[in-house]
Amino acid sequence: MPPLAWYALRRVAHGLVTLWFAITITFLLLRLLPGDPATAIASTNMDATMRQELLTKYGLTESLPIQYGKYLVQLVQGNLGTSFSQSEPVSTVLMARLPWTLLLTGSALVVTVAIGIPLGVVAATHAKGALDRIVQVVGVVGQSLFVPSVGIFLLYILGLKLKWFPIGGAHDENVYGIAWYLNVGWHLVLPCASLALVSLGSYVLILRSTLIESLGEDFCVLARAKGTPERIVVWKHGLRNALLPTTTLLGLQLGFMVGGSVLTETIFAYPGVGRAIYESVIRLDFPVLQGAFVLLAATVVAANMITDLAYGLLDPRVRTA
Amino acid sequence: MRAQRLIRVCVIGAVGAFLAACAPSAPSTQNAAAGSSPSDTLTIATTTDVVNLNPMLGNSRTDSWVTDLMYPRLLTVSANGSKEPNLATKWGYSADGKTGFFDLRNDFAWSDGTKLTATDVAYTINTIKTQKPKGNVVSGFMSNLDKATAVSPTRVELQLNKPDSIVVPEVGFWMTVVPEHIFSKQAKIDDFANASDWVSAGPYRLSSIAKGQSYTLERVEPYPIAPNGKPTLAKVVFKVYPDVNTEILALKKGDVDVIANALPPAQVKDLKGTSGISVTEVPGLGFTHMTYNMKRKPMDNVLVRQALAHAVDYKSIRAVAVQGQAVTANSSPITDSLKEFADPTLKEYTFDPQKSKALLAQAGVSNLKLTMIYSLQDPVIAAWSSMVKDSAAQAGITIDLKGMDRNTYLAKTVAGDYDIYAGSFAIMDEPVSNMALQYLPDGAINYSQVNDPQLTSLIEQAQSTIDKGKQKSLVQQAAGYVNKNMIDNIMYVQNLNVAHSSKWDGFITRPSELLSIIDPASLANVHQK
Repeated sequence: MPPLAWYALRRVAHGLVTLWFAITITFLLLRLLPGDPATAIASTNMDATMRQELLTKYGLTESLPIQYGKYLVQLVQGNLGTSFSQSEPVSTVLMARLPWTLLLTGSALVVTVAIGIPLGVVAATHAKGALDRIVQVVGVVGQSLFVPSVGIFLLYILGLKLKWFPIGGAHDENVYGIAWYLNVGWHLVLPCASLALVSLGSYVLILRSTLIESLGEDFCVLARAKGTPERIVVWKHGLRNALLPTTTLLGLQLGFMVGGSVLTETIFAYPGVGRAIYESVIRLDFPVLQGAFVLLAATVVAANMITDLAYGLLDPRVRTA
Repeated sequence: MRAQRLIRVCVIGAVGAFLAACAPSAPSTQNAAAGSSPSDTLTIATTTDVVNLNPMLGNSRTDSWVTDLMYPRLLTVSANGSKEPNLATKWGYSADGKTGFFDLRNDFAWSDGTKLTATDVAYTINTIKTQKPKGNVVSGFMSNLDKATAVSPTRVELQLNKPDSIVVPEVGFWMTVVPEHIFSKQAKIDDFANASDWVSAGPYRLSSIAKGQSYTLERVEPYPIAPNGKPTLAKVVFKVYPDVNTEILALKKGDVDVIANALPPAQVKDLKGTSGISVTEVPGLGFTHMTYNMKRKPMDNVLVRQALAHAVDYKSIRAVAVQGQAVTANSSPITDSLKEFADPTLKEYTFDPQKSKALLAQAGVSNLKLTMIYSLQDPVIAAWSSMVKDSAAQAGITIDLKGMDRNTYLAKTVAGDYDIYAGSFAIMDEPVSNMALQYLPDGAINYSQVNDPQLTSLIEQAQSTIDKGKQKSLVQQAAGYVNKNMIDNIMYVQNLNVAHSSKWDGFITRPSELLSIIDPASLANVHQK
């Protein structure tokens, strides 16, 4: 089998093991939480007998290994269970939300890369100059930002004071056809900007460092000696090598963004999986929480697998290691 | 080259067609609310999403606001806390107290044309009794109910196995009536999501849902309680903003017209001073309290409990932590919100650290150290908990504050794992029921862990008599007993403030956040100025 195929196979197997680990940890952690779903939805009239009946109905009175076994069997069959609080299949609950989270985090990632690469290049090619210092300050400030603070600030200035953008939500009512897409895009701007601003800092700073190092390597010196224009040296030779570690960073940042989506979606009233997690934590709706974490873990694992594979494509040394 | 360009155009065209197909399409004209415009569409902001639309299951506050517009209650609550007619015109008991009844209006109908009759009411009551839907509040009131029977199209009778004065008013207020011809098709109510094809007997009916974002209801005519039988609004839209700061920004911008949930005290002053926004005070129907776990020494000693009560600076808490938006409860579980039953002779314990010390000395207790649990999700209690600790320290009492997440807090509360419990009840609407739930030994919210034969006797007598005069006397005796023996430290009644755009008028204010200014009667009446 060719080395790239082996590399890909190893990465997929590694991803599946990681996913199983995440599923198991989530399952156990939820059941270690204090309280139980019956207490979480308890009314002032729910006596001990009613609580116990509810717990039995939820399957929470069985032993932990039995609960785990049943859950794994269901999962393999593609069944995420039924929401305790909403009386609907978890897959229905989450599939209504997942596209919004993918749209939000995907857009934020694209924006981060689209802005981060030019900024990183500007900083690296003007190293120690004024532009470099400005970019470094922007990068450090970006790393210190907190998503809810950024979100409320953007909503206040751009939403309320300037009235340029809507206050929350994913789209307006009574908008149809192509206009609906424009409306979705308009609502996406502020939450996407919040997430992107917070992740931009580290991306820019790491790219700057790796590019400065790359541009000092022998192959770049040779390229310049051969008369290659500087922009070709930077964008074609230097950047390609500098992107390797930042590609790995992107995978990690996706995980961060997915986790950060809980706060972003709450502040911006964005109806994604993050919001579903926030609401389900309060209700201790185990099936929804488990399903959400499985989906998000699968998304992050898949993204990291893709970046690993991309890394293998970019760097032949990795796939033959 | 030409082939490549052609392929590119085809792919772009295919993607465009796919996206166009995925976008929502405009509803057909017959489904759209005819003539709806911004001036007859009221947009209401809420911080919690709809959990489920089956009113027989446990609901979030938003669930209730939405389903209340479709499924009527038999009774409502007036400004002085007493029960008022709604779907029911009369209610009460037979002379022996073993049969309760509701007489119904005969002019209600479901939106599919089926008349709303006593059959629907009897079905709803019996289903709750037999199936005990998860999280349903009403089933807890039915322990003495055998069954309900529709004896005529407008009369329901409830057979009780013994006189119980709680059943009729509590079923009347807390239960929403569902259509028997729809819900009876379900084998198990717990599994019925009621997620589409709604049949409403309220002023509005759900027409569309954008899950997690908005819930749109459209006018239903006729609605007997609306002026001239026609609700004033063409549409009501509930929009979800989980963060209250975002919600307030939306109101200030004009994206929403009303904020349904009560405002945090810290936001009230700012909104009162904002042009174009009106803030309405809604009387509270609940209270905030601290209970001292009477199953643990030395809280089983009345002198210690009284000492603890005298070590609380109630006035400062109301002025500072609640920003003046609360009134005294007179240290009584029957507050002035329930004017008919409140005892005006009961007085709040004074803040008197010296008296606390004297009482502790009398009890032979020194170096008293206790832990107090509270939920960090309640910012007002979190704010005054440190004030309680500081004022107790003046009396030589050490309180270790244990703020925790809601689920841990609930778990500890259910387990009775605390010295002092701090919390609040949003709606305590029925005096006898309140006392039974809080102070009977098996009461579901007996957080004082009290088991006092004298108190139990007073409450059980009040529960088994249908004579209003005797009830009042017994309830007042019980409340006085609680006050005198400091079985429950009722600290204050928080008045709620809700905000709306000044463009709108005609809101009817009722007590509690559940009813507030957005109950069905109010929303059937509201209009732009």
